[in-house]
Amino acid sequence: MLRHLYRCALRLHPRGFRRRFGDEMLSIFDRQQGRLAAFRLLLDGLVSLTRQWTMRQEFWGELPPNQALQPTPIGVPSFSTIDSFRPRSAAVVPGALLSIALFCATCFAIRYSWIHVLHVHIPEVQFERSQWVPPRSDVGASSREDSLSPINKGQSAPTISTSSHSPVLKQPAAPAVATVQTRGASVAKKSSIEPKAPSQTIPATSTPLAKSVVGADERSAAADASLDAAEREQVIQGAIQNLRRYYIDPAMSQTMAESLRSHAENGDDDEATDGETFAKVLTMQLRAVSHDRHLSVIYNQSAIPEGVTGPTAEAIARYRQDMEQTNCTLEKVETLPHNVGYLKLNSFPDLQLCQPKIAAAMASLNEADAIIFDLRDNHGGSPGMVAFVASYLFDHPTHLDDFYNRSENSTLQSWTLSPIEGSKLADKPVLVLTSAETFSGGEEFAYDLKMLKRARLVGETTAGGAHMVRHRRINEHFSIGVPDTRPINPVSRTNWEGTGVTPDVSVRAAEALTTAESLAEKLLQK
Amino acid sequence: MADDARQFLPLSPAALHILLSLAGEDMHGYAIMQEIARQSGGQYKMGPGTLYDNLQRLMDREWVEDLGQRLGDEDPRRRYYHLTLSGRGVLEAETARLAGVVREARSRLQSTRSSVPKPRRA
Repeated sequence: MLRHLYRCALRLHPRGFRRRFGDEMLSIFDRQQGRLAAFRLLLDGLVSLTRQWTMRQEFWGELPPNQALQPTPIGVPSFSTIDSFRPRSAAVVPGALLSIALFCATCFAIRYSWIHVLHVHIPEVQFERSQWVPPRSDVGASSREDSLSPINKGQSAPTISTSSHSPVLKQPAAPAVATVQTRGASVAKKSSIEPKAPSQTIPATSTPLAKSVVGADERSAAADASLDAAEREQVIQGAIQNLRRYYIDPAMSQTMAESLRSHAENGDDDEATDGETFAKVLTMQLRAVSHDRHLSVIYNQSAIPEGVTGPTAEAIARYRQDMEQTNCTLEKVETLPHNVGYLKLNSFPDLQLCQPKIAAAMASLNEADAIIFDLRDNHGGSPGMVAFVASYLFDHPTHLDDFYNRSENSTLQSWTLSPIEGSKLADKPVLVLTSAETFSGGEEFAYDLKMLKRARLVGETTAGGAHMVRHRRINEHFSIGVPDTRPINPVSRTNWEGTGVTPDVSVRAAEALTTAESLAEKLLQK
Repeated sequence: MADDARQFLPLSPAALHILLSLAGEDMHGYAIMQEIARQSGGQYKMGPGTLYDNLQRLMDREWVEDLGQRLGDEDPRRRYYHLTLSGRGVLEAETARLAGVVREARSRLQSTRSSVPKPRRA
């Protein structure tokens, strides 16, 4: 017992002293006979402990002389210090870890502290792909190769409980925000989508980034710098290069390139002496040829940093704010007469951001006997969310679409996460309301359910935009949204680009809900 | 050397006894403790805490050096200590100082004794 206490006292000595003399002191203790002698040694040890910690600071960290005096081997770099103290090599790793932890804690404190003593902006950590990730106006599963899992290829069924199996849930948070098509509620109000005459319309740009750009331009349009012919030529050249390289249809990219060249030679661009006007002119020229409304040239008042891509932190923050203010664009959730569930969704918002709200809305309609999805004002969004919402309507994993990326020559599959645990909607009648303004992701939802004969579409033929777009930098102030991915429906082997989705019951959009209600009633009476 | 050594004088009793113990031969700690007890006739018993605290400082001044363990020793934990030349110089200086003190003390004691008046008979 006393020996144990003595050992404890020795262990509590400063490291240098303990390493030098600890064993010897214990050796002496072991030679003592009798409890009295042992007790005296214990007292001596305690006195020594006090003395070493209070009066011998100079020896605390000292190494045994035969180690401390070892010369540094020739050729081994070492730091020269005035102090003879050298840290133990074993202390380097914990020291480094501690430093990193302190650095991270400091950054975290600066970033998230309510007290902004330092006016330093530290962006949020975003675990996103390293390559340039421009915003996309309509994106399915991530277009990265590494997102292709065997399950995505249909070799086995994905389940909701294993998110890694899901092409939807595999999307990283930030890119998912980045890729959301934001011609949703808040943005859509600014845009005038006229599919019948696309060449005459410049819809608001379709990304959070673009939205911020437009906002900036609106504030300072007067301050636009004038464009000279050389810069216009540079932008046209950059646009053509990006189109040829990435546009989903190589033949069409050639046609568009020729068109841009032709307009430039005819002097059609000469009057566009400010960036914003020039971007609109180019956008019109591209759409007039391709009728692809995902195409756009964007002018950015502030400089676009080279190599820094994707939406800005401000744009992401604004998107989050929009989603909070618009309840994830979930305009209405209610139960209509005859226990028909009704859900008006004006976009398919980012899955990671809005999954809880959308899931809650779906859960609130779980007892409905039929369900109506009102997509008349839905202007697109995340295919991940499309797949998530569709997951409630099937009792087994269902293949919705393939997404073919031309420049990467890769195909990703989108599957539902069915069955959703507890969902009673898998066998209930589904009606989808469409309008001529239903666009992109909204069309995908309607088209997929139609192809799978899972829903009846009521309303108007949709706008006809199926592609997914990435925004790519042209120069300091111009970028171009180039559609580089097309969905391929496994049933039809095609998509709705340019044609739109035709309804099963064709009525004016304003009458679609009434028609659908009576249709649902009839379906339930059968 | 002698001048250098004098600046550390006087030595503490513990340091003096340790240096004195090692003046004859190299010793391990326990032997030093026993030797000190013998030198002082059992009046001065040093515990290991004090011993090694002093050894630490003596080695730091390079008066004593650590020879390490000896092969075949009955207790392999023991380390042997050796009095260095500078340590020996310090011990000699201290011994000389003490000799002067003793001489002075004797001289004073002697003169005091002789100056005491003898009692006279009436």
